[in-house]
Amino acid sequence: MADSPSGGVPEAPPFFQRMFDNVFLLLALGLIVMLVVFTGWGMWEILTMPAGTLP
Amino acid sequence: MLTKVHSGLDPAPGIWWKPAHKAEKVWVAIAFAWCMVLFAMMPLWHWKGGQNPSGIRRRVDPVKFYQRTVEFATQYKIGEDRGIPIVAPPPGAEVYLTGMTFQWFPILQLQAGATYRLHMSSLDMNHGFSLYPMNVNFQVVPGYDYALQVTPTAAGDFRIICNEFCGIGHHTMVGRVIVVDGAGKPLADNSHAVLRDREAK
Amino acid sequence: MSATASFPHRVCPATGLVIASAAEPLIKINAVVAVVSLLVGAVAALLLVLTRWQAVHLLPAVWYYRILGVHGMNMLIFFIIYFEMAVLWFAGTVLLNSRPANPKLGWFSFSLMLVGSALVEWAQWTGRADVLFTSYPPLKAHPLFYLGIILFAVGALTVTGLFFATLVIAKREQTYEGSMPLVVYGAVTAAIIAVITLLHGAIIYIPTFLWSIGLIKSIDPQIYRMIWWALGHSSQQINVAAMVAIWYMLSALTIGGVVLNEKVSRSAFVLYVLFISMASAHHLLVDPGFSSAWKIVNTSYFMYMAVLASMIHGFTVPAGMELGMRLRGFTDGLFGWLRRAPWGDPGFSALVFSIVVFGFVGGITGVTIGTEQINIIAHNTLRIPGHFHATVVSGTAMAFMGATYYLLPLVFQRKVAFWSLAKIQPYLFALGMLLLSMGMTFAGSFGVPRRHWDISFAQAPFDVQFNPSVDIVLAVMGIGGLLAVTGALSFILIAVKSVFFGEAITTWETGKEIAGIPQGLTMPPVHAANVDELNDALHAESRGIAGATPGTLVLVGIFLVAFVVYYFTNWKLLSFLWKVG
Repeated sequence: MADSPSGGVPEAPPFFQRMFDNVFLLLALGLIVMLVVFTGWGMWEILTMPAGTLP
Repeated sequence: MLTKVHSGLDPAPGIWWKPAHKAEKVWVAIAFAWCMVLFAMMPLWHWKGGQNPSGIRRRVDPVKFYQRTVEFATQYKIGEDRGIPIVAPPPGAEVYLTGMTFQWFPILQLQAGATYRLHMSSLDMNHGFSLYPMNVNFQVVPGYDYALQVTPTAAGDFRIICNEFCGIGHHTMVGRVIVVDGAGKPLADNSHAVLRDREAK
Repeated sequence: MSATASFPHRVCPATGLVIASAAEPLIKINAVVAVVSLLVGAVAALLLVLTRWQAVHLLPAVWYYRILGVHGMNMLIFFIIYFEMAVLWFAGTVLLNSRPANPKLGWFSFSLMLVGSALVEWAQWTGRADVLFTSYPPLKAHPLFYLGIILFAVGALTVTGLFFATLVIAKREQTYEGSMPLVVYGAVTAAIIAVITLLHGAIIYIPTFLWSIGLIKSIDPQIYRMIWWALGHSSQQINVAAMVAIWYMLSALTIGGVVLNEKVSRSAFVLYVLFISMASAHHLLVDPGFSSAWKIVNTSYFMYMAVLASMIHGFTVPAGMELGMRLRGFTDGLFGWLRRAPWGDPGFSALVFSIVVFGFVGGITGVTIGTEQINIIAHNTLRIPGHFHATVVSGTAMAFMGATYYLLPLVFQRKVAFWSLAKIQPYLFALGMLLLSMGMTFAGSFGVPRRHWDISFAQAPFDVQFNPSVDIVLAVMGIGGLLAVTGALSFILIAVKSVFFGEAITTWETGKEIAGIPQGLTMPPVHAANVDELNDALHAESRGIAGATPGTLVLVGIFLVAFVVYYFTNWKLLSFLWKVG
């Protein structure tokens, strides 16, 4: 039950509680972080690697 | 829910974004500090430590890399073992090693304490460079030249085990690295990969 | 928790939860197929461990590599993902008293997964996919191998999408009040990681399939390894999240474990969502394709924030168990709550072994060998399977087994068959896996390679003489493997007998022990009548830093010490190597 004084209107949950409850926001953030930090950066590393000269 | 205490199977009632109690805060702080130590160790070892997988990393054509390896082997060849050239490059040299199904080419003879730039790549499949018994492990990828600066620390007759599955002959793929000390010992003798840090008698 | 749900359902007599009639068969079919995959994987495990135990060396080379691929696919993909589909159907519907979104599509997706796994099995067993579980190009398998995996992944991704849709339905139809239960939150975490995983699977398997039929000229081996591992290791992180969710669930069911602080536990799950998948990079630490900056940032789960999350759960789960027990009156000493816990309940013992082995063995070894430079002494040695058998098997699979002992009576409405065997099964499995993991880890420290048929190197041009201790530790691995397989086959026997030939539960009796029904259901844990008062007293300032859960603080302290010692010992071992850079 709502953790509020009896008879009162329930307060809106704090910002972070609402953010944490937003499953689709978390899905988006999880995808974005992975696609940028791991996949995107990793692809950039491989694709920008210079050709070797075999000295 | 009639009580404040609840389990993970109960919906979380009302406002649960509340401060944690002291023990939880203390543990999280300790764990966080340990995580920072874990993170700091890696850059620290780059700065102060002697083993890092940095290297000079380049794209190469597998066939061209192999040809360069053959050229290198011909240039510094001093002998042969089971048909594979034994190659002794001078300290500071660009050294080439190719992994291919199912051998490591060539056999390298290096000097303890000397530094080399060891280029590794594959002619065909992924291979795993595993220097035994030191347990130095690197991935050898076709199309990529992994040029690591290496300094052998002691003399011995070492083996290169392939530890990445490369086909049915994978477990027959063993190479050899000889490291001689200042006096030029041990001589190539194909006995066990024993670490010898004294002059052989 | 009302019985006024408008869709066809039954109300669970034990928990009062609403079980939608459309969801129940989906939960069951996925769980059953999971156990079938476990059987295939376990038989493969037996053959493999008797081959790597060099003194026995059972299989010939071709079959060793072939069965190794079968073992990987069946355990790491089929068993675990089918079971997780069951978990998603369960968590989204039963735990929220909701109806499932589009069950027809759920059945279609299941069929896709079934067809996909059948194609993969066929390809592997008939020698058309001798490329191991990772299938690194330029190694190439039959096109149907890749197609099978793609179909399986599409099916699984669809079910994951249906899980999210079910969450929306439950919210809209107000089937629960407040925020979703923590166990469901853990399932959400698993589902999000599953999307990350399967997306990368599509990115890599579709081009690889096209290459196998000749439409694409070549697949860059380094790009493949990077994207494959975003699938391969992230799929194991799905397992971590699902396992932790099940820890909270079993804690509640077996002993009345509570949630200490929702904010803390949910924050840990959010850290998983954001940062756990990138550590797939720890498979690429000694690859030429990436800079040290990329390696360090990614392998560290972004400054170890996901490790922080695991360490948080590593505290809140046992602490929730301790607090739950203290609130039931088990307040004697530091560890009375643990000593007097129901060790004869296989759901409970599995829970504890899962936490302990995952944390102490799996977690500590994993973070250590996943360090950029320490990986140099570990990559592709037997230390790697030593680590992951302690996490995904002794951790996740063990937790799933524990959950099964409760789901058999609750969902299948059957008594657990072979009850005396069931009570010791977790002990057998945990001990066996512990010995196997430690045997492998020690062998790997001596340089023994993974995925390798013959470490006597009988057919190699040069000899390799391993330290004689290697024979001993491989024997330990072998014996551990035999024990673990016995434990796994026992579990499968119990599950199959219970589901297909078991005694149905017709009435629910509480208040006395009943063979075949875990004590958490026959004598449900009940907190003291003045539980909130007791809770406040346990959290009083005057108790100081020990707080409500002093026993757990001691346990995590021991864990931290073990972690620090193991970690720095490995740096020391690394320092003996050649200079490399």
